[in-house]
Amino acid sequence: MDFLQNTLASFIALVPVTLAQSLILAFVVLGIMIPFRMLSFPDLTSEGAFPLGGCVCGVLMAAGMAPLPAILIALIAGFVAGCCTAFIHLRFRIHTLLAGILMMTMLYSINLRIMGRSNLSVFGSTTVFDWVPFLQPGFPASKIVMAGTIGLLVFVLLLYFFRTEKGTAVRAVGANPDMAEAQGINVWLATIGGVGLAGAFSAVGGALMVQSQGFADVNMGLGILINGLAALMIGEAIVGKQSVPRQLAAPFVGAIVYYQLVSFCLAAGMPPPDLKLATGLFVLAMLALPSLKRSRGPAAARETVRE
Amino acid sequence: MLEIRSARKVFYKGQADEKTALNDLNLRLETGEFGVVIGSNGAGKSSMLNAISGALVLDTGKVLINGDDVTAMPVHKRAIRLARVFQDPMKGTAASMTVAENMLLADLRSNRRTLRRGLNPVRLASYKERLSLLGLGLENRLDTRVELLSGGQRQSLSLIMAVGGSPELLLLDEHTAALDPRTADIVMQATIRAVEALKLTTLMVTHNMQHAVDFGHRVIMLDAGRVRLEIAGREKAAITVPDLIGHFSVKTDRMFLAS
Repeated sequence: MDFLQNTLASFIALVPVTLAQSLILAFVVLGIMIPFRMLSFPDLTSEGAFPLGGCVCGVLMAAGMAPLPAILIALIAGFVAGCCTAFIHLRFRIHTLLAGILMMTMLYSINLRIMGRSNLSVFGSTTVFDWVPFLQPGFPASKIVMAGTIGLLVFVLLLYFFRTEKGTAVRAVGANPDMAEAQGINVWLATIGGVGLAGAFSAVGGALMVQSQGFADVNMGLGILINGLAALMIGEAIVGKQSVPRQLAAPFVGAIVYYQLVSFCLAAGMPPPDLKLATGLFVLAMLALPSLKRSRGPAAARETVRE
Repeated sequence: MLEIRSARKVFYKGQADEKTALNDLNLRLETGEFGVVIGSNGAGKSSMLNAISGALVLDTGKVLINGDDVTAMPVHKRAIRLARVFQDPMKGTAASMTVAENMLLADLRSNRRTLRRGLNPVRLASYKERLSLLGLGLENRLDTRVELLSGGQRQSLSLIMAVGGSPELLLLDEHTAALDPRTADIVMQATIRAVEALKLTTLMVTHNMQHAVDFGHRVIMLDAGRVRLEIAGREKAAITVPDLIGHFSVKTDRMFLAS
């Protein structure tokens, strides 16, 4: 009884901090979802694009740049990184996953070069979270409001985009690239643009994270991909993925629920080093579930992905 | 009008399994003409269609549509001028998207895609009307994802998508071969109605000799990557299935003359 009470008490105390963190990381989950679900392009770039955004933002802020331009430049850097992954896949016919691994490995060196050292403190610099009115800067509430507002804005914009003529064409590239091409859609342009957009979101997540935590670290991306995937799976299990609004809401819902879950596990006394193993096992279970169900009854449709 | 001039394509060049798919193939299809292509497996029918659509890059030779050289154009640029229905119903539609969204994609084939809303009420109404012509009830399933439709329904949808917007050239690649006889008949009737109503320049590949006899203005028989035989006009009207099948096995004098 005491254990439960202590666990609950420390969990509840952590809810605001975790919520702020999860709203920021929702951008990374979005950056994982767009290539994976909208373009059938399983992409690992986010593992490199997230710290890239953080490093770029950190260096710029340390040099005295205002927080918003720093985020925008981080966004562009992430966009370029995503474009490179897509280009490597399309031009050299390298498997999407391998292209992503190549990109994130190369980005590690690039991130180190950008910062010139492995971590950089930007503590005390003005951040976007300081702009939230009526709230004390640095308090989780300001982060929740700011990250939540940007998230909502991105959600609405993406929802609109994927229903436009151009957005429908991008989704067609993911659904059936040959058919899309036969309908006059430039598959290269849509893929490069889409994966680039995903890289941009991952980088924005990194930039916001640096502004939130007050430092940039070249290792901040370690394991972010598997966390993001776990969040996406949870989100899809809750809101589904059968329509564009649901598919777009899944990363946000998933990120919020997943990080609360992690926080609960930690509050319950799970040693932090075990976290990656637990997350990995969870993602494995979620991915294995359809094939376990399949051993009885008819074969379920396999996820179609580009190779 | 479609013109193919001395198209040549060799696969696995210089290797032991070198294969000449198109061997100086020449073909001319007038505007509004309906050509039916027959030929045994490996005769070059698919290679020819792929060369026209742009999926196959020719070693030498040219493809012209309405007098414009499209040889160097990638698939998505040629799509502005031509539409294609594939043999496999899965290939011509986006399975995870709805019927209406698929119609929209086809609708935009030859237009610039904008940042305006895709499925507006005007478009939905016109899709409903066009799909109702099939009589398959697809007009009431605009929001159904295509993967939930039967093969015949998907192929019918592919056809409606292809003929919409009156393409300069319609390519039909054994588009009824994967369907049961009754559905094949429905799709074929819909094809003929659309082709005649819109006076589409059409090239249909088929293994169905009855279709080759019944439909089209001209039968084009391919063999070893070139046109071996063309039957048009009064001769085409009088031809029977046994006649056509005869041409497959026996190389008649006329076939040599035609080459």
